This record gives sequence, C-alpha cells and structure tokens, in this order.
Amino acid sequence: MYSNDRLRRAQSSRVILQMQGIVKEFAGTRALDEVDFDVRPGEVHALIGENGAGKSTLMNVLAGRFDDYEGLITFDGRQVRITSPRQARDMGIAVIYQELSVLPNFTVAENIMLGDEKAQRWTRKLDRASINAGARDIIEYLRFDLDPDEPVGRLSKARQCLVEIAGAMRRNIRLLVFDEPTASLGGEDIDKLFGVIKDLRGRGLAMVYISHTLGELPIIADRVTVLRDGRMVGTKAITDCQISELTRMMLGHDLAEAFPAKTNRPGRVILKVDGLSRPGVFENISFELREGEILGIAGLVGSGRSEIVRAIFGADNARGTVEFRGRPIVGRSPSLCRVLGIGMVPENRKREGNITGRPVSENLTISILERLSGTLGFQSPRNLTAHASRMIEQMKIDPPRPQMDIQDLSGGNQQKVIVGRWLAAESKVIIFDEPTQGIDVGTKSQMYRLIMDLASRGRAIILISSELLEITKLADRILVIRDGRLVREMQGPETDEDALFAECGRKDKPE
Amino acid sequence: MSNGTKKPNAQRIRGALSFRKLQQASILLLLVGLCAFASFRSPTFFSWTNLVDNLLTNAAALGVIAIGMTFVMIAGGFDLSVASNTAVCSVVLVLTMDALSPYGAAVAIPAALLLTALVGIGLGAVNGVLIAYVGVNPFVVTLSTMLVFRGLALILTGGGQALQVSNTILRKQFEWIYEAQFTLFGQNYQISMPILIFLVVFAIGIYLLRFTRFGHYLYAIGGNEQAAWLAGVNTHRIKASTYILCGFTCAVAAVIFVAMTSTAQAESHVGKELVVIASVIVGGTPLGGGSGGLIATLAGLLLLRVIENLLTQFGIGAEYRPVVTGLIIVVVVTVDVLAKRRSRK
Repeated sequence: MYSNDRLRRAQSSRVILQMQGIVKEFAGTRALDEVDFDVRPGEVHALIGENGAGKSTLMNVLAGRFDDYEGLITFDGRQVRITSPRQARDMGIAVIYQELSVLPNFTVAENIMLGDEKAQRWTRKLDRASINAGARDIIEYLRFDLDPDEPVGRLSKARQCLVEIAGAMRRNIRLLVFDEPTASLGGEDIDKLFGVIKDLRGRGLAMVYISHTLGELPIIADRVTVLRDGRMVGTKAITDCQISELTRMMLGHDLAEAFPAKTNRPGRVILKVDGLSRPGVFENISFELREGEILGIAGLVGSGRSEIVRAIFGADNARGTVEFRGRPIVGRSPSLCRVLGIGMVPENRKREGNITGRPVSENLTISILERLSGTLGFQSPRNLTAHASRMIEQMKIDPPRPQMDIQDLSGGNQQKVIVGRWLAAESKVIIFDEPTQGIDVGTKSQMYRLIMDLASRGRAIILISSELLEITKLADRILVIRDGRLVREMQGPETDEDALFAECGRKDKPE
Repeated sequence: MSNGTKKPNAQRIRGALSFRKLQQASILLLLVGLCAFASFRSPTFFSWTNLVDNLLTNAAALGVIAIGMTFVMIAGGFDLSVASNTAVCSVVLVLTMDALSPYGAAVAIPAALLLTALVGIGLGAVNGVLIAYVGVNPFVVTLSTMLVFRGLALILTGGGQALQVSNTILRKQFEWIYEAQFTLFGQNYQISMPILIFLVVFAIGIYLLRFTRFGHYLYAIGGNEQAAWLAGVNTHRIKASTYILCGFTCAVAAVIFVAMTSTAQAESHVGKELVVIASVIVGGTPLGGGSGGLIATLAGLLLLRVIENLLTQFGIGAEYRPVVTGLIIVVVVTVDVLAKRRSRK
C-alpha cells in the first residue's frame, strides 16, 4: 500500500500539484490574488509570509475548505476542482494543522486507524486486532517512536503530531501540508520533526511547509515561495537566498522605515518581578520594569513567554512576588491589576480580547465602567458613546463607528480597540502579547508608533513578539526566555535580529 | 494480534486515564461504604426483598433510559426530552391496547408493544435529525421537544386524564410484565421481570459500546467530532442513532411503567430526565462526552438509589431527597473538576 516503488514512480513525473492564478475573496477583499504555486514529489516547498499574507488561505483552498475560489488546480496530471475536505482527502492531500486534530481519549493505534476500522460481518464486532496490526505496520514503516497502546492525551505535542502524520500516511497520501508545525514545539521536538520530514522527503513524498520562522527554512526546505498581502512575491530555491532577502520579500521594502525613532527614556522602577515560578511552565523569573521603558520578551512560541506575563497579570496562578511601585501585589488577578493600572493586550485576540457580538463602544469602555457610572451605577449610553468616540478618534479606528460590532472590524482595528481599552483605563504598565499578529503592515506601523508614544509619555511597556525585528527595533532591553527560564538579558538597540534569533534557542543558526 | 496478551487492550487503557479512574473508584467506594453503613444501621437493608424489590425493580425503568442517555452523552450530546417521550409512549401503549382489546391479548399486546417502540424511536429520531443533521444545539432541541412531547401526551389523553386499559383481563395479562418473577437460587431468591429487562438492555448496551465499531465511533465523536468527521466517520448518522436508541429505551421504560402502575398519565415522570442525566454524570460520563460507559452509569444509578433507599429506611422525609441528590451531583462533579485541574500540569 505504501511501497517505495509507487513513490519512486511518482518522483519521475515533474510536478504533482500545480495551482495557477488562484483567487479567493472574502467579503470583497482579495485574500489571494492570482497566486501560482507548485510542488514536486520528493521536495519540501516552504510557503512563507506574514500573518494575513494568504498562506493559510491558499492551503485551505487546497484542503477543500472553500468552494468559491477561482483559478486552476492540476493534481497528479489531472485538472481538478477541490470543493470539500473529503474530496481533498480522497485525492491524497493531507494537512497537519497547528491545532492538532487528534482524539485525546483514544490510543495511538486507534487514532491512526480512525475511520478505517473493520467489523465482523454478523456480530458487527469491532476488530481491535486489525487496528493494532495496521497501526503497528505504519509506525514500523515510518520508523516512528510511538507505542500503539498509549493514550494520545498523554503524549507531547510533537508525538501527537507524529500520530497525525502516521494517520495521514496510512491513507496513501500524495501531498502532505504542514501548517506552522513548529509553532507549538520545543527545540528537541523540532529536530525530531525535521528528521521525520527529511525521511519522508527521501521516500519521495511531496510536502508543503508553511512557516513564518525564516530561520528553519535552510534546514528543511528545498524551495521557498513568498506571499505578501495575498500576492506572490516570488519562488526561489533555498540555496539561492539569504534570510535577510527573504525578510525583505516578506515584509516589503519599507518596513525598516515603519519603526519610529526611539524617543522614550526609562525612569524609576515601577514593576518588580521576583522569583516567579509555575512548575513545568516557567521557573524563577525575576526582572524589573521602569517607567517609560519598553521591555522586550523574546523566545520561541511555547517557551513560556505568554504564560509569564499572564501570571504577572494574575490570569494564571504562580509562585513568586510582583511588586508594583514598591508594594507587593497580594492576590493578583486581572481585576486587581486593572485597578492598580496594569493592562494586558492578550495574544489571542478572538478568544481573550474581543467581546464578540458587542459594539466597539462597549469593548472600549469595559475597563472603565466604574468611572463612567453615575448615581446608583447608572450607565448613561450617551456618556459611554461620547467617551468611545474620543477613543476611536485617538486610536484612528476605522470605520469610526462606536455602534459597530467589533467582529466586523479588520484584525488591525480590533487590536486598536483592545489597546484603546487599556489606554482608557490609564494603565501605567501595559503588556502587549503579540500585538501585531495577523494585522497588516500599515496598522503594524501605527501600532509601533503608538507603543513608542506611550513609552515616551512614561508608560512602562512589556512587549512579546515572535517577530524579532519588532523587539530589536522597539525594546530598550530584551529578556530571552528558553524552556521557561530567563537565559539572557540583551540591550535592545545593540542587538540585531539574527543574534537574537540564535539566543532564542534554535541550535541551528541560519548561515 | 501477535502480542494482544502482553499489552492490555485499548478499552482498558482508556479507562485507565488517571483522574477518570480515580473518580470511578471513588464512586464504587462510596457505594460500598454506603451499603456497609446501611446494613450496619438497618438489618433489613441487605434482605433480598429490600435489595431486589425496593432498590432494583423500582430503578429498572429509569435505568433503561439511563443506558440510552449514556450513549447520547458519550457522543457529546444531551437529551432533556426522555421523560416526555416516555409519557407519550405510555399513553400510546395504553390507548393501543384498549383499542385492540376486542382482538384478544395475543394481538393487542404485541401490536401495542411494537407501536410503542416505533413511537419512542420516532420521537428520538426527531431529536436526532435536528441535532445531528440540521446542527441545532442539543440543549435547545431537546428542551423544545420536551415541551412538545409533553403536550402531545396531554392532547392524546384529552387534557391529562389518567388512562387505564378498560378490559380487566387484558390489564392483568399485561401486568405480568411487572409481576413475573424468575427463580434464581430457590424460592426466596427471585428476580423480577423489570430487572431482567434491564439486564438484557444493559448487556446489549455493553456489547454495542465496547465491542462494536459503532461504540468505538461514539467515543471518537465525543473526543473530537471534527477529527472524527475528517477521518471519514459518518458523524451525523452516528449522532442521530444515539438519540434514536435513547428514544427506544424510553419506549421500553414506558412498558415497565405501565405494567407497574396499570395506568398511563400525561403528567407522569415530570423531572425524571434530570434524575437520569444525574446518574449518568455521577457515574462519570462527562458532559461533552468522550469517556465514561455503562458500568459507570450503573454505579451512578445505584448510588443515587441506595441513598434514596437509606433516606426512606431512616424515615427521612421525601422533601430531603432532592437536596441530597443535588449535593451528591455537585460533590461528584467538583471532585472531577479538581482532579482534572490537578492532572493538568
């Protein structure tokens, strides 16, 4: 079923997938604009671009998630129109999403064989032996280090990813797509996964590798296609390009100019974190934050960066103390932090930021309702809207309509609302966790200017970002977190992106 | 399989997920402890009459529904309409028997049983189609059908009057379903027909859940419906079937109830859906599904019954029962949440 012969035969043909002039629109905006993309058997074709560049949209077209795209897809020599996930799967296209879709309550074998179980004819008895045998075969063939009887819920993310790959490989696939697989993995696990990908490449499988971590591309990819704002910037062999060149292609030429000049000046210590620990997540984190300072926190996703700031903000429990203006905060909680003047713009805007289904005005004022309340807690709608209008103007939220539902705004404008919420609360310390994730370049630049402006006016800022360029250009000091530990402190302006990247824990430094 | 004996099978591993096991063990311990306490305080507790007649026979009908409910809940669903469905089935059962009584018991009883089963299945299918195929939230669907089915029962009984099979001979013959006793180990140890019915349904349920592909897929859907669907499992059909099965168990329960009381009332069993859901949850099948099973449900059911029985034996008024039941559910679910929180890093 998965003989090397078949794969070798496939390898001889030139391309297995060709996508030409793909166009996909969402409510009038072009998420994909005439994109061309192809994959050959036995190669890893990386697809890179910023959040919102259209990488995932392109792969979702391939995975059959949309039935209203335009353009031509040729798969395995035949022209096809992919309109359902089932169809994509039956054709032999499998996508390993970042949010893994495994069954935590099932064993490895049961997960791998899901949907392909045999039952006896008359008794309808489930053939457990064939489940185990089938899973064992594929695990052996792939040389994965997996125990078929282990419940998947107990495995690490990396192992769960292997389970998904094994499940896909069992279905005789021709093309495997990885959607940012390393985003939630630690260093060792990433190495392991890369080993697996190289092995599959050796067997002649065609793979697409979506990423926005440029550093890993030289290790894993053969060719790179860069997307920006839904358009193709170009396709190159990995041996022909430099990381800095890819960065330019990804961001456009003018991004360096998007960063404002540093105008802030750190003053007195306002926040002191001492011995903050959460077993198994992060260990003994101590640092100080000054008024008017931008403190960057860098590290791989999963290193514990977000968990640390969540603990400071009281969203998670942790041992250790946090002092605000010299006094320890006892019983940290988001509501106490808000009253003291600490705000957080969370990483996951949709889940932790937006109050979906409610107007912009309410989203802007939720942190300051006490202040806007009159006698007996009466909330004057006019008062609320007036305040919201001022914030909308200040934050340049577009369209400037307080009554609009927040979910109808673009990602960048939603982010402005969340930031505006903490400005309205006159927070002295504002934590930004991935503030530019999934927003366009223009809004990013506005966000940078806003952060710099806040710091210049004496607000203390903690900035977490996976885009290391942002941290190096904005931060005064940078804390590097690796596997839950604070491993280094670097001076912001003197650090360049590549040096910071090397510190973040990837052993393989891009050449 | 080559080394099937070396490793425990998958089913047992699923049960071994630590906190689940802890919870199940705690339920069984609680059950054993309560029984020990009961036999110590009340010599009649361990008498065959008390155990079999009071405890089990009376729990059999709701127990049958709890089996159907377990199927629904393992797949992540929920059914609030079971008590109303049972009421409709009871009414249909009595009306059909009455209508067919001139043809004699040999015609009337089988025909009435068949029609009742079809009604239970049909009402379950209404839930199943709306939830699985149309995609409406199970809570909303079954809350609505709970009201609609209850209304149906009222309409069928002309506004809620108690129905009885007017032909006394036929009625007596039907009551055999409740009164029949089966000798086990001598005259003093007999089990009743309702218990036998429960055991048969239970055995079929265990087989479906643990040994068939259908049961396997129920756990898959409860674990991650999207993943199961993408793996090619026909999640819609399987989810719909759980509601149909649950509807069928309502019909079976209706038969037991009618045989027991000789009457059908539109307003019967009000609120019993919550008792059924409570036994499933107390047993350890979580809201949202993905784990649990029938042994767990049986343990939950017995625990609630034993406590109720104890309260009766000690002469504690019926008004305290809801309080005790409610407290038990809260305690059990709280323990579960705490255990889960601890097992998460």
